[in-house]
Parts: sequence; structure tokens; C-alpha cells
Amino acid sequence: MEYVTTKSKDVTLLEILDRVLDKGVVISGDLVISLAEIDLIYVGLKVLISSVETMERLRGAPFASPMQEPK
Amino acid sequence: MDKIIDIDSPDEFIEEIEKIQGALPKRINANPKNVEKGLSKLVLTLIELIRKLLEKQAMRRIDAGSLSEEEIERVGETLMKLENKMQELKVIFGLKDEELNLNLGPLGDLM
Amino acid sequence: MRIYAYAVIDSNSKITAPINGLEGIGVYNISYRDIGIVVSEGEQIQDITQEHILKHEEVVEKLMESFTVLPVSFLTLFKKKDDVLLMMQEHYSDFRENLDRLRNKVEFGIKIIWPGETIKNRVIEASKKLNANVAIADNTPGKSFAMQKLEKYKIDKEFAEEADRCIALLDDFFSRFVTEKKLEKLKSDNLLLNAYYLVEKEKQGDFKEAFERAKNTPGDLKYLFSGPWPPYNFISLTKKSSSLDYLNTKDVFTKLVNNLDLTEKNII
Repeated sequence: MEYVTTKSKDVTLLEILDRVLDKGVVISGDLVISLAEIDLIYVGLKVLISSVETMERLRGAPFASPMQEPK
Repeated sequence: MDKIIDIDSPDEFIEEIEKIQGALPKRINANPKNVEKGLSKLVLTLIELIRKLLEKQAMRRIDAGSLSEEEIERVGETLMKLENKMQELKVIFGLKDEELNLNLGPLGDLM
Repeated sequence: MRIYAYAVIDSNSKITAPINGLEGIGVYNISYRDIGIVVSEGEQIQDITQEHILKHEEVVEKLMESFTVLPVSFLTLFKKKDDVLLMMQEHYSDFRENLDRLRNKVEFGIKIIWPGETIKNRVIEASKKLNANVAIADNTPGKSFAMQKLEKYKIDKEFAEEADRCIALLDDFFSRFVTEKKLEKLKSDNLLLNAYYLVEKEKQGDFKEAFERAKNTPGDLKYLFSGPWPPYNFISLTKKSSSLDYLNTKDVFTKLVNNLDLTEKNII
């Protein structure tokens, strides 16, 4: 199987990150679960890519990209 | 939904986007344990904001020719002292320039 | 147990076509009056990964095929359904207004890279030539500092003006087909423009064509065009509750800046 990784995929991810992490309907307050229970998210492609890479390494196999069909 | 991503030079865009993602965390944990780290950054960024604005105001007026020679000299001295003080504070708190940047939306980047 | 929110939708009916959310759990609609919020339930996620984020976006986009959506920020969690309903009550009029305004509209993103460093260097060279003959020998430290800063100020100003000219030219191509826009200029020296455009669905084709025409603008420009997206950048909420545990830094600064009345005309 061959996985086609392109930089465009990274760009798409960056575009998504730009939107979902900080925009849209942003609700804070007592009704929303405080993020104390989840580590602070430092945005950046590198941070997220590396957490996937770490898991792939530990597992010994690459994850299938949800955005690409394996060839 | 069909997403169109039309792009020239993805590498360059990735580089620029990562540059601007901003050093300030999106949210600061105000719990007592972590408060110091986050807040000192916040406070210093605020001070830097004011300092930069003062500097910009001064330059605008010099450029417009509305300050006398003596006033220019005094403003210059004051700005110099402010900048030096800011440098000291950065050293004391162990913060770098890039860490104090902040994107203010419609106002653009702080620096 | 946690309730994850994906989007506020313009419907209070059940979701008929099944959609799987985070951790593969099916989403459902919590209705409130004539609207609803689509959520899924699950356990605490330990490690946030690319996949979670992509899945969140996938759900929002699927919903967008059938409803008007107000996408909710990733990792908006609730403890129980009552909390969700209370939140809906607090924000109902905001949500209602946004849903009406955003019906049948989609968001596009355009980023443009220009040779900023080159252009800036050109401006710097020109400035050096201009200042070459100015006597500096008898300047006091204060005056020298001020002059140094002044030169930098003029360079930045000239650079920003060139950017504005270029942006105006490009924005001109799109304006006709958009209902709202947000432009971020010169977020970095090379990133001339980071723009979000709100476009009516029927005008998508025209908008894309306008982009193709804009690409022919001379000047070593590089373009990134993405969309259609859910309207993340065009949500406006009047009610902003603040958490005691967390400070949203952008909120803090925006509030502060607004209070100081630091609009562009006051600064430049």
C-alpha cells in the first residue's frame, strides 16, 4: 500500500486548526467544562503532527489518513 | 462537502502560517498552580503594547512636524529609557520578544 | 461522561441520517425551541490528536449539507444535558440572529504571499539614500534614538501603504460576490493578506471565477484558496460569559484595546 502525503494535506490541516480551535461559537463559563481537566492546547501543526507520529512509532505502524484513501 | 484547496507553493504557506500562529497561548490557566507563568506573559505583553503605542504616537507626531527640536529630544530620551526598562523586565521574567507578540485581529499584530 | 458539542443548527428535529462523531459515537440533536445543538457523548479524551480535530470538522461539514450551522469551537464540553439547555437559553437570541444571517452562506479563505522581504529591503534602501546626507555628529542620545525610530516608523509606514494598495487591488475582484469579509493584513512581512469571505451559496461559482481572474495580477504573488467552510469567522455573539478558571487571552486584549479606543485612526 502506498500513502500519498502531500504538503497540501498539511495546509488543509492548518486551515482547519485555524478555525476549529479558536473560532465559531466560543462558549466559556460555568456551564462549560473547565479545561483544567485537559492540557492546554498549543496550536501548531508540529504539535499535533508529532502526537500522531509518536503514537505511530509506539504502535509500529502508520495510521491511515482519514483524508486519503490508501492506494 | 467538496473542499477546494487551490494552492501555489504549500511550503511557503506552511512557513508563514506557522510564523503567525502566535506565541501567546489561546487560553491561560488561571489555576493557582500555573498562574504565574501565564500571567507574567500577559502582563508584560500588555506593558509592551502600551510602550509600542506610545512610541508609534510619538513617531507620528515627529513625522507630522508637530514637535519642536527640544520636544523631540525629550521624547527620544523617554522612549529610550522605556525600551531599556522593557529589556530588563524581559530578562528578569525570562521572556523573548517572540513570546510577547499578540495578534489583535483587526488591529493586526502587535509588533 | 462528557457531552461534546459540534454545531448549533437551525432545526429542532432528530437527526435522521446517522453521523458518527468523536470516538465513533453517534451524534444527536438536543433541541431548544426552534433550534438545536448537535452533540455526542463520550468519555474524557486523554490525548488530543489530528484525528479528533478532523472528525469534529467532518461532523460539522456533514451537518452543513442539510442545515444552517453555527460551528462550535473544538472541545466545548458539558457535564450534563441540563447544562446544555441552560447554555442554549442564555444564547438563544444570539444563535437565532446568527442562523438567520448565515443561512445559505459559506466561508472561503484566501491567503496571499507576496515578496515582502524584497519589497521591504527596497523601501529600506530608498530610506537609507534619503538619510545619507543628514548630519548626525552633534545629535544627543535622545535625538539619535528618536531619529532611528523615526526612520523605522517611516519604513514600516511605507511598507504598509504598499501592502494596502496591493490588497485593495485584489480585494476588488471579490467584493462584488461577498456579503461579509474579514481581512488581516501583513500578519507577517510575507503574508500580505489573510482573508475570510462570506459568500452566498449561489454565488460560489462567481466567487471562484473572480479568484481565478485575480490570480492573473502581476507581481510574484502566491495564492491559497480554501473552502467552502462552515462560517467559523462570521459568528458574532453579544453575550460573552467568562470563566473564572480560564482567561481567554484574545478576549482580554480585545476588551482592553476597545476600552482604550485604539482604532487605526488614532494610532497611525
